[in-house]
Amino acid sequence: MDALSMGLVAAMGALATVAGASEDIESDVGSQSNPNSQVQLAAQVGNPHRIYNKAISGEPPANALWATTAAVVAYTLITKFAMPALFAIAIGASVAALFNGVFSTSAYFGRNASQRRFNQWIYLDIVRYTTTSIMAHAWITAFCITCIAYIQTQILTPHHPFPMPVIALIWGLTVGAIGSSVGDIHYGGEREFQWRLFGQGLNTMLSGQIVRKAEAGLRNSIDNAWFCTKLGGPLTGLAFGLTVFLDNWRTTVFDPVTQAGLAIGMGLFFVIIMNLYNFYVETSIRKKYGPYPGYKGDIAA
Amino acid sequence: MNFDALTIVYILEIVVGGLLVGVGVHFVPVGGAPAAMAQATGVGTGTVQLAAGSGLTGLLAAGLMMSVTDNIWPILASGAVGAMIMMDTTMMAGGWIYAYAVGAPFASAKVNYDPITGYSQPPYVAPGTVGQGIPTVCYVSGTIGAFMGGLGGAMIYYPLMMTNHNPSLSALFAIGIFLVNAVLASWNIQGTIEGFHDPKFKRWPKAFRSCLVATVILALVAVTITGGA
Repeated sequence: MDALSMGLVAAMGALATVAGASEDIESDVGSQSNPNSQVQLAAQVGNPHRIYNKAISGEPPANALWATTAAVVAYTLITKFAMPALFAIAIGASVAALFNGVFSTSAYFGRNASQRRFNQWIYLDIVRYTTTSIMAHAWITAFCITCIAYIQTQILTPHHPFPMPVIALIWGLTVGAIGSSVGDIHYGGEREFQWRLFGQGLNTMLSGQIVRKAEAGLRNSIDNAWFCTKLGGPLTGLAFGLTVFLDNWRTTVFDPVTQAGLAIGMGLFFVIIMNLYNFYVETSIRKKYGPYPGYKGDIAA
Repeated sequence: MNFDALTIVYILEIVVGGLLVGVGVHFVPVGGAPAAMAQATGVGTGTVQLAAGSGLTGLLAAGLMMSVTDNIWPILASGAVGAMIMMDTTMMAGGWIYAYAVGAPFASAKVNYDPITGYSQPPYVAPGTVGQGIPTVCYVSGTIGAFMGGLGGAMIYYPLMMTNHNPSLSALFAIGIFLVNAVLASWNIQGTIEGFHDPKFKRWPKAFRSCLVATVILALVAVTITGGA
């Protein structure tokens, strides 16, 4: 362990936190997440809306695409044109953001045009000012992940044997999986159906009955980003940051050549702590909230 | 290339790795889109996506370990631990939102009592839903699934690396074999599963058989590729 390596691992954790947060906000503005099923369904059950609708694929493959695109461009610029890394990564992220813009607009037009029979309109103003926000967030995600891949392959010792684009692909998949698991709950469970009772999961009968009125006027996707930035985004960032940080911390503090056992043992220790912590959270909220009112079964709480 | 006894051992290792991935996916508690609306128990994403996210994080850890040692045990263990860390942080952060934002207690609708803690489940299931959040049994099951996924990913990567000595080629092949097995298992699961206490879990032998056939073919193709770029 040396001071530089520890600093680099900390920087990777910070970059991952930012990447996770921006990834989740990107998917919330564009509604490219699990709750998009409700956005799709809304028009079909008679609730046309002004929410962006662009779920082309799941978040993990999509983010893997943005991150890998950025990494491939950056890697080419660094190795073939000897460009400074930071510039190269910024240009790579810009190319990824442009790809994202093309996918987003075509997906929005295609998806909403196919719902014409349900009176769903295509709003050009939504396309005009929401797409740029989506692209900006995708830029941040791609930039941060490519930076992490660059640090892992070029600076951090021992250097990671995988090439930069493969690492970007893997972290892109991971950030998408985390954003889809963590951030989506805040957007779907908390934002889309706010008028139901606190503490209730979504009753199946309410499917598609999404909230369409915002704090001022009709709701659009920028309002969703404003809401999800408070909790869904930061927690996604925290989860991805923890993944990147803890996983690299244990192999940086303990030398993988001579102390491989300790590095693995440390990882197991984190896993056990997190399992116990989840049990604590479960127990405490059961005590705090209690069983659902109106429960009529014969099993005691 | 020489098709000797060692190559057969490598093929067997890849097959075992693929089977571990295929069975491990069944342990991961996945609730899909309904879980994202607190309408079903589990993590709100797809089976393949979560398994791939954790397994490939494990592959990164295994790859790093393999760059400094040829000993198979630390490589396998590192892969398994990396995958478990990713899965556990994800479930933990998801649990925070269920617990403190949506405000829903964790409950499973597949069992009356949590097999690990013994807590009763039906009184905590919100009306009109099939549970929400990640109860202890799902969390432990997810950790086991990540362990098997990470172990499987590392076990596919190790023999590939021993035959072609090219990390990028081996990594991409390992990602490919991993995803094939994860997708096959997901067809068996049909969208959502809570973990080893879920009745759907009993279907794992079907996935085992299909993964066996697929991985044997893939392993034969993979070990014959030597060198590369």
